Amino acid sequence: MSEKFSRRDFLKLAGVGAATSAILTGCGPASRYVKREPYMQMPEYNYNGQSTYYATTCRECAAGCGLIVRTVQGRAIKTEGNAGNPLNLGKTCARGQATLHGLYNPDRVTDPQKRSSRGSGSTQVMDWDAAIQVVADALKNNKPEEIAFLMGMAPDHLFDLVSDLASATGMNAPLRFGALGMFEARATLSKAAENLFGEASLPFFDVGGAQVVFSFGANFLETWLSPVSYTRGFAGLREAKTKMRGKFVQFESRMSQTGGKADEWIPLRPGTEALVALAIGKLASEIRGGAMPRAFENVDPIDTASKSGIKLETLEHLAGMFAGSNGALAIPGGPALGQSNGLAVAEAVLALNAISDNFGKPGGVYLSPLAPNQSEYQRPASAQEMQEFVQKMADGKIKVLFVHGVNPLFELPTALGFGGASKSVSQIISFATFPDETAREADYVFPDHHGLESWGYQRVATGSAQPVLSGAQPVVSPYYNTRATVDVLITAAQLAGGSFASALPFKDEVEFLNGKVSALMGEVDGSISAPDLATFMAYFQQHGGYWKNSDERVAPKAGDALNREISAEEAEFAGEGEFFFVPFVSPTLAEAGANKPWLQELPDPTTTVMWNTWVEMNPETAHELGIENDDVVRIVSEAGELEVPVYLYPAIRPDTIAIPFGQGHTAYGRYAENRGVNPADLLGQHFNEAGDLAFAGMKVKVEKTGVKKPLSRLESIMGVYGIGLGEEH
Amino acid sequence: MIKSIFDWLKQPLGLIAVGITVLTLFSIAAYGIYTTQQAPEQPIQFPHQTHVAFGIQCLYCHPGASKGPAAGLPSQAKCWACHNQIAKTETSALLAPLKEAVQSGTPIQWVPVAQVPDFVQFNHRAHIAAGKNCEDCHGDMSKVTIAQNPQVFNMGWCLNCHVESAGEDHEKLVKLSDCGTCHY
Amino acid sequence: MVTLSDLKISEVKLGEEQTGKWGMVIDQDICTGCQACVAACAMENNITFVGEEDSGYGRSMHWIRIERFWEGEYPEVKMTANQPMLCQQCGHATCEPVCPAFATVHSQAEQLNLQVYNRCVGTRYCANNCPYQVRSFNWRDYQRPEPLPNQFNPDVTVRRMGVMEKCTFCIQRIHKAQDKAKSEGREVADGEFTTACAQACPANAITFGRVDDPESMVSQLAKRSHGVKHLEELGTLPNVTYFKGG
Repeated sequence: MSEKFSRRDFLKLAGVGAATSAILTGCGPASRYVKREPYMQMPEYNYNGQSTYYATTCRECAAGCGLIVRTVQGRAIKTEGNAGNPLNLGKTCARGQATLHGLYNPDRVTDPQKRSSRGSGSTQVMDWDAAIQVVADALKNNKPEEIAFLMGMAPDHLFDLVSDLASATGMNAPLRFGALGMFEARATLSKAAENLFGEASLPFFDVGGAQVVFSFGANFLETWLSPVSYTRGFAGLREAKTKMRGKFVQFESRMSQTGGKADEWIPLRPGTEALVALAIGKLASEIRGGAMPRAFENVDPIDTASKSGIKLETLEHLAGMFAGSNGALAIPGGPALGQSNGLAVAEAVLALNAISDNFGKPGGVYLSPLAPNQSEYQRPASAQEMQEFVQKMADGKIKVLFVHGVNPLFELPTALGFGGASKSVSQIISFATFPDETAREADYVFPDHHGLESWGYQRVATGSAQPVLSGAQPVVSPYYNTRATVDVLITAAQLAGGSFASALPFKDEVEFLNGKVSALMGEVDGSISAPDLATFMAYFQQHGGYWKNSDERVAPKAGDALNREISAEEAEFAGEGEFFFVPFVSPTLAEAGANKPWLQELPDPTTTVMWNTWVEMNPETAHELGIENDDVVRIVSEAGELEVPVYLYPAIRPDTIAIPFGQGHTAYGRYAENRGVNPADLLGQHFNEAGDLAFAGMKVKVEKTGVKKPLSRLESIMGVYGIGLGEEH
Repeated sequence: MIKSIFDWLKQPLGLIAVGITVLTLFSIAAYGIYTTQQAPEQPIQFPHQTHVAFGIQCLYCHPGASKGPAAGLPSQAKCWACHNQIAKTETSALLAPLKEAVQSGTPIQWVPVAQVPDFVQFNHRAHIAAGKNCEDCHGDMSKVTIAQNPQVFNMGWCLNCHVESAGEDHEKLVKLSDCGTCHY
Repeated sequence: MVTLSDLKISEVKLGEEQTGKWGMVIDQDICTGCQACVAACAMENNITFVGEEDSGYGRSMHWIRIERFWEGEYPEVKMTANQPMLCQQCGHATCEPVCPAFATVHSQAEQLNLQVYNRCVGTRYCANNCPYQVRSFNWRDYQRPEPLPNQFNPDVTVRRMGVMEKCTFCIQRIHKAQDKAKSEGREVADGEFTTACAQACPANAITFGRVDDPESMVSQLAKRSHGVKHLEELGTLPNVTYFKGG
């Protein structure tokens, strides 16, 4: 290159050359010709380029919404709600939409694996015969009482199979657990129902029929119990077609997405929920007149006002609102129940409903109907029951642990010591679809199909007036070398022989399912009926399940709901520190959404943050501490500490901080790993009387670190550029 | 500096060099375009004319054309339904890949010939319904062995026909010349 | 001398007769901000995710987003009603006249603002000129590793780097419904199909349909007195009507 021939000229010429060759090769056969593989044997109901639709059940959470999945040429393209399913009536939440990013996730477990050592990334691929032999040996070579199953929250056919197996062989009954159940405080709800109504059951709140809704911490528009159903209820509350537009008041220390929709948001001091509920009850009873119910006797509204930070006038105004409406409904839930006095809060709030006498009436409190093939309410394990189980593991009483549909290493508070206790278990076998934390600590991973590749059914625990059994069928053939866990267990049980073989005398999963569902053929008032099993099962798959046509919600027996003493104590808080700590489930990610890239990219509904964890802090407090947006702070609790960037959140009490749960994975695929923090690391071992974790009953310290970590947020682009991530590149 | 290059190029030697370069570029371009116009290599040298001669309708093997966007390729089970009754299938070298594919259960990988870019949303059904015949776009299949692309599917060609078929009907013209009819 | 008043833009008058064909009504009072519509839109329309860093720069590709603003200060703070914001499919769109490549054009047949990807050269003038800020640009060829592309909707073009994109009112669904109706020799019925966002919405806050048909659900709703159109004063003739919160 001569000195006169400048670099710039050279680049120009080189550019022309590159463009020419790009054009020429771009037209060449290599890039132009694609290969097309037609079906070897096309299903007769299929046409090329035409969509085929299958009904199945969403497996992203335990609610059991029905899905219709659009498939083209054997690929799943889009999920929609099943309009026939009485639970979700054709609607889905964001997680249901993103379930395809789980099905086609690049980080699924592709084959059965044997791990060289626990926690290591090096695995050896096995074939399924050897894998099933491992399961058979585990069943055969251990005492039944040393074998345990840990499962997800969904009451599904696998749970029924393992329950049958356990009761026939003396194995430990399967434990169902999930972080959602822990943060919803399901055990507290059913215990409170038992105490007040004499029946352990999941209450159903008819938000849609109410005129005034008081929610004490219940995040029913986010992840609580059955979000799609409750969102429909909320739309009914607001709908002004046949009645007045309903009012909604939310009591919580940090404005949740649900609280953001409230007409009045009452930031009470954490721990005073029971007091406030009882005080409103007392004031409302006074307005209504008559004898003061025993439940509200020993509460002092003036004292409550000073303790809770709510003005007395506000309490009186709220009581007037509650007493003045003939459709008032009070809902307990979320962080309000996850405190040392959570059971008292639940009872106090449920008792409020007695004032408007709405038990078993439209716009009131019901008990959820049992699913069609269910004889009693099966509650998932509470955190305390999990603690007992972990203790059993630590004591060496469990030799073999099977894990399916749950990720205890991530979902359980670290302080419960699952990780340490698992070292005393000689063999851990995971059936995980994704390489999650627990699968990484397992000796073997025998991957189950993704939910959209599986047969099955799932009982709907709550959310529908009709009893619903959602049906699941594969919408696509398995993408990887996975196998249904039910099939693995049936085959392994045959190999193990003895009582195992006789407990599961089935050819395969479908035969087991047919046996379970066939009992419904004889029932009247069902959504489908058929003279023979083959037709009945075809209808069952075609319509996405079986449900009763009638409203079978149970009216609670609430005779003395008000005639019992309810403790009017404040909650106790564990740990030292100036801040109340509120962990909440991320409305978009929930407990298992972090590996789905589009769920990561959904902005959080309140903060609009994407792809990370933040801690919410009142701007005033932050100003006093000299903390700004995106400053990383260290949060220290009695159980642990973590570092997380600050989001200045205008709708949180100055004495409270909040962290979303859902990120902070150390495994679980490329989109989840090493992203954000897990607030479960901060939680201590404190439980309420019902055995639920007192996750909102901690106090924590906040320390500055001097580091900044900008959060990606959607709101920054609206009008204002400038919040970037450091240097442009 | 650019000027000195031009001066050099004006010499006879330079002119020859320019000529050679232009010629080379032209032949590369011509070859490039030539290759794009070749029928691609197919797994089976499928004789369309033989099948048409037997009186098999296009829609028998490509039934999607009258029902939806894609005409589709027949599954090999469909090929085999006829071919396993034909003695020649056992001996013909041309049909060996089909026999192999059916017996081993591996799909045949065809190379599509008539295709439009990803940003064009083409629907066969609407065209069949509007009275177009297969040969209007795909040529006379009774004359070719493996499918060849008789027509370059460019936008001008599409639009000509769209405008023509709309005729005097203004509403139809609006619909058929709307960008959003094909591009979304 | 040509004055501003001579320019054609002055011909558009406020409150001019609605000229749209497809329209939407969004009830902000019952929108819970759950993001189901955003996810449904992404799944239906092959929208790419951009990752943490690029989304921090505001390059995320949401065709619909849910806006929320804060009013007041603690403890009297209030979150305003969630506001799903998407392309308003303006009757007189500000994005259209600025496109030098005629990639942003008005569909005469469907009365929608089109984005023709194969014409787009990436000047981003349209996005700069959109008062609703609902256009997003492909700053890179974002990677969707195998087997994620298995999920792609074959009815929608997969966009590449350098191309602008935005909400299409699910035009592929419009075409599909029209095609089906035509093959059965009838008109498209109201409510026969809907957009991905409206179909997913658990609160049923989004209604989609023909605004030029006075009998359709969406026309009936849009007549309600509390309906507003965003930035109507700019003369954009938006086709999305909002019901503000209670």
